[in-house]
Amino acid sequence: MRKILDHHVAILLGIVVVGSVIFNVWSPWQFTEIASNWEFIDFTVKVTWWICGVAFVLLGLFMAWAIWRYKYHESGESHYEPEHPVLESWLTIITSIGVVIMLAPGLIVWDDYVQVPPDAMEVEVLGEQWTWKFRFPGEDGIFGTTSVKKNVERGPDGTTFEPNITSLNPFGMRDGDPHGEDDILIASNVLHVPLDRNIKVVMRSKDVLHDFWVPEIRAKMDMVPGMITYFWFRPTRTGEFEILCAELCGRSHHNMRGTMYIDTQEDFEAWLDSQVTWAEMKAGQVPEEPIVAKGRQVADQNGCFACHSLDGTSVVGPTWQGLWGREVVLDDGSTVIADEAYIVESIVEPNVKLVEGFGSVMTPYAFEDDEMEALLRFLQETAK
Amino acid sequence: MAEAAQTNQGPLTTIVDDWSSDVTTFKAVPWGKAMMWIFLLSDTFIFTSFLVSYMAVRMTQTDAWPYPSEVFSLEAFGTPVPLLLIAIMTFILITSSGTMAMAVNMGYRKRKVAVFWLMFATAMLGLSFVGMQAFEWTKLIGDEGVKAWQNPMGAPQFGSFFFMITGFHGLHVSAGVVYLLLVAIRVLRGKYDNTSFEIVEITGLYWHFVDLVWVFIFAFFYLW
Amino acid sequence: MATAEIPYQETVPLHHPKTWIGKYVFSQDHKVIAVQYGITAIAVGLVALFLSDLMRIQIAYPGFMEWFVEDYYYQAITMHGMIMVIYLLTAFLLGAFGNFTVPLMCGARDMVFPFVNMLSYWVYLISVIILLLGYIPGLGGPTGAGWTLYPPQTITEGTPGADWGIMTMLASLAVFIVAFTMGGLNYITTILQARTRGMSLMRLPLTVWGIFVATFLGLLAFPALFVSAIMMILDLRIGTSFFMPAIVSLGQTLAHDGGQPLLFQHLFWFFGHPEVYIVALPAFGVVSDLISVHARKNIFGYRLMVWALVFIGILSFIVWAHHMFVAGMHPYFGFFFATTTLIIAVPTAIKVYNWILTLWKANIKLTVPMLYALSFVLTFIMGGITGLFLGNVIIDIPLSDTYFVVAHFHMVMGVSPILAIFGGIYHWYPKLTGRMLNDTVGKWHFWITFLGTYIIYFPMHYLGFIGVPRRYYENFDSSFYPASAQTLNEIITWTALVVGVAQLLYIGNLVHSYFYGKPAGDNPWGANSLEWCTPDTPPSHGNWGDKLPTVHRWAYDYSVPGSDKDFIPQTVPQGQSS
Repeated sequence: MRKILDHHVAILLGIVVVGSVIFNVWSPWQFTEIASNWEFIDFTVKVTWWICGVAFVLLGLFMAWAIWRYKYHESGESHYEPEHPVLESWLTIITSIGVVIMLAPGLIVWDDYVQVPPDAMEVEVLGEQWTWKFRFPGEDGIFGTTSVKKNVERGPDGTTFEPNITSLNPFGMRDGDPHGEDDILIASNVLHVPLDRNIKVVMRSKDVLHDFWVPEIRAKMDMVPGMITYFWFRPTRTGEFEILCAELCGRSHHNMRGTMYIDTQEDFEAWLDSQVTWAEMKAGQVPEEPIVAKGRQVADQNGCFACHSLDGTSVVGPTWQGLWGREVVLDDGSTVIADEAYIVESIVEPNVKLVEGFGSVMTPYAFEDDEMEALLRFLQETAK
Repeated sequence: MAEAAQTNQGPLTTIVDDWSSDVTTFKAVPWGKAMMWIFLLSDTFIFTSFLVSYMAVRMTQTDAWPYPSEVFSLEAFGTPVPLLLIAIMTFILITSSGTMAMAVNMGYRKRKVAVFWLMFATAMLGLSFVGMQAFEWTKLIGDEGVKAWQNPMGAPQFGSFFFMITGFHGLHVSAGVVYLLLVAIRVLRGKYDNTSFEIVEITGLYWHFVDLVWVFIFAFFYLW
Repeated sequence: MATAEIPYQETVPLHHPKTWIGKYVFSQDHKVIAVQYGITAIAVGLVALFLSDLMRIQIAYPGFMEWFVEDYYYQAITMHGMIMVIYLLTAFLLGAFGNFTVPLMCGARDMVFPFVNMLSYWVYLISVIILLLGYIPGLGGPTGAGWTLYPPQTITEGTPGADWGIMTMLASLAVFIVAFTMGGLNYITTILQARTRGMSLMRLPLTVWGIFVATFLGLLAFPALFVSAIMMILDLRIGTSFFMPAIVSLGQTLAHDGGQPLLFQHLFWFFGHPEVYIVALPAFGVVSDLISVHARKNIFGYRLMVWALVFIGILSFIVWAHHMFVAGMHPYFGFFFATTTLIIAVPTAIKVYNWILTLWKANIKLTVPMLYALSFVLTFIMGGITGLFLGNVIIDIPLSDTYFVVAHFHMVMGVSPILAIFGGIYHWYPKLTGRMLNDTVGKWHFWITFLGTYIIYFPMHYLGFIGVPRRYYENFDSSFYPASAQTLNEIITWTALVVGVAQLLYIGNLVHSYFYGKPAGDNPWGANSLEWCTPDTPPSHGNWGDKLPTVHRWAYDYSVPGSDKDFIPQTVPQGQSS
């Protein structure tokens, strides 16, 4: 007992090392089951895991042993040996070999990762605060070009431009590009991809940095505004997977979720056929009354669609589809009819009557009378 | 170099000796001078970061970049002469390095009055540089419509980088002018009579550095 | 080696303060400045510690603190990170340890320019105040962009504090850089040009070497941060587009055009990676000295340790983009930066081997500072090997932006340097105050802190493996990891709360022992380096009395065969043993 007390430091350090190993073996928290071709990433992790694990255990236990063995004695004297070049060289060499063994497979897989197979089908992911949109190149296999602004004019008095990304053109498709007409636009955060096809994910962002990440796929890459980034993968099992944003993108970063389904080829094609192309989307847009169009513009410019969708999906705030005149449940359990009075109140003092299931994140907005009127007309139209 | 090591008197051996000696690493280098050198090394990294950022943005720019010899031309005797003003400014700054070097030389000989006037001349040349820079800025802003955030001729980054980097350099020159005048007055008043005139040399180091930086700015902004 | 030369500083008159304010407030004495730096850094560090506990409660029990909304959470992660890295670790290791140890260990009377040194502290204090201004009500709170401050989100409306919060942050950083430069120039010049007779560079204790290399890194790396701060302020305030491409921020098409978000990341990490070593290298140095002194054995492979420091310092400038493997930069950079990153593991591993080999055949006194040093080594090994995962580009792909990263950098540059700081304070407190700290309290604090932080961060790596993303205000039930992950989060939170409170033990110990501690004597640990050879304890103004000491040997002559004591101070001539 006395001996244990004397050597408690060595013993506790030893327990920390051994405990770490036991934790690793028994831990229920391991890599999630993979759903893509990147098993080699998992293999590289394992190689690194073993080399580092062995080094950790050896160094840790040696330290604990040395503390036990060479504990201070009045009569004791340490060994005076400033340097030991042979030992130091050997340790350097062994470490270097370990590093090479870890690095080599890593670089080989990386080479694979950055070179997309030529037969890969393309899908574009568009990130925005705080949701996802997707685009397929359509029959011609070529994405139409996009832009954030149009009609940019420079002059000594400044630069003028018109926004090109609006609720009527959520992808910012550029006018007059024939490749864009057949592009399939998916303006919701649900993506389907086919099994066993090489898929190149091309990514862009409307606003800030995002990162398209499905943990089971292993691959991820940031989406950077002003740039197009990419990665590729091949799905290896069907199922439903969560899409996460892995790069801090503002106050609702954690809400930026989506779903990716890996389908069989037939299911995927059936789904893809049911989606609209850019040409169809444009054709379906009937001209709006001027006041409704103005309301849409107000909503566009004030960023309402960042949180409120028009298609029934809940993003950060409740959807506007069918909102007008509907009965809504508030977070205190009471109900209220979403009439003009309630909606105006929710714009001016948004956090007073919260809809159940939504947080108090909206900032109050003050509109001019004519803007408010237009916005309300637009909301009324959308509900139809 | 191997030969030098064998005879124990080559430059490499001297460096090794200096670095392995006690008390000071750089022999006969006063503290202030050593500190100025290290500061300038740090400052070099600031200007390098500015210029590398400028290069990176310019090379990846899709918008048009203005043609420097047109933007920076000056009307002389009825015809536009490209880079006329810049040439004069550069000439002035390099001349000021010359007067500074002469001041340092006089400092070694402890000729106070000569040191004062040479440093004063250096400061005046620096001041005229800053003045011309102000003139160039007003011309660019007023006549050409280039602002830090806009540029009627193309990429707005042209104005952003130009004003930021030349402005930062101009601040260095202005600070240098104040520094020069302060030291010059102190020299004249005899503050350093009983010690050495190393402060003149230290001021000179800073001034030459500011000059050198200008050469790079000149090359990257006006000649590229 | 010539030792006849009279050090210039023996002839320089010292500035002697005449008033109480001159002596203790606007003091030019490096020891007082060190204490000022230390107290300020600890005070602001406690703010960051408090923020981290708030974050932990939110992660484990979302909804428990209803008032703690998203904005507060993201502001807390930002302020916690920035305070810990810059205003606590950098300021403490260089400002406090640097100021205290450099003149004493080099045998100097003070820093070469004491007035500039004094300014350095006061400017640092101003930077801390500007930083905390972000919390003034009405300004919209500090920035919530994460300590990396990546544009465009830093200055767009979707991020808390995008208006004034980011301004105070950037202004504070710029001011801090000015303060650091004034201090750093002093450390470097003092080490290079103002050592005492016989003190060659290769006789300097490793603490000074660590501080020396780290300060160099700081002087060359902070400029990149300074420049990016200026450019971001211009983007924010006058509408330039350095980092801002054309974007649609929350529905509004901004006027910006043609900037590069990645340029900021390159500048930031050109500073940010050396910054890791600015924090790590002084800690390496301190730990090397603590281990050697308390193991009563010379540090193993001193020369290799020095060269490893220098190589790590140089290499740290060519590895920065390993923070950007998933940032969207050209993928071929991955090959280069993964290789350089893993190469840097070799000198780092050598340092670890040499610490451990110092213990081998030693005569180890398990004093409290030694406990901190030993735990540093174990924690650092853990943090170092997980770095090998993240440095290897392809492994970084699944693990980046998960809790694996959080666990890794907390182990390697959070907990490790903090343990070194605790050990260092414990070691030098007797010299600074003339009194010993209380060992019982010290041991309690040590075990709670060491085991606690290990329990916090070791399992956190596994949260990363199962894919729990970092910087999430709230983790909803996700399909890809078991629900038990939340249990683990709760365990981590409770441990973090205990560890957080336990820090009061250490602070209480510092205060109490200052008045009631056991008198220490001149050299309580039996250490060799020069600071233990001062004629007075605590050292008086000017440190050395009339004449500077003369150094005859390196700082590690412990247990030399044939000597009657187990240590021989550096001032003892060769051939004598005491």
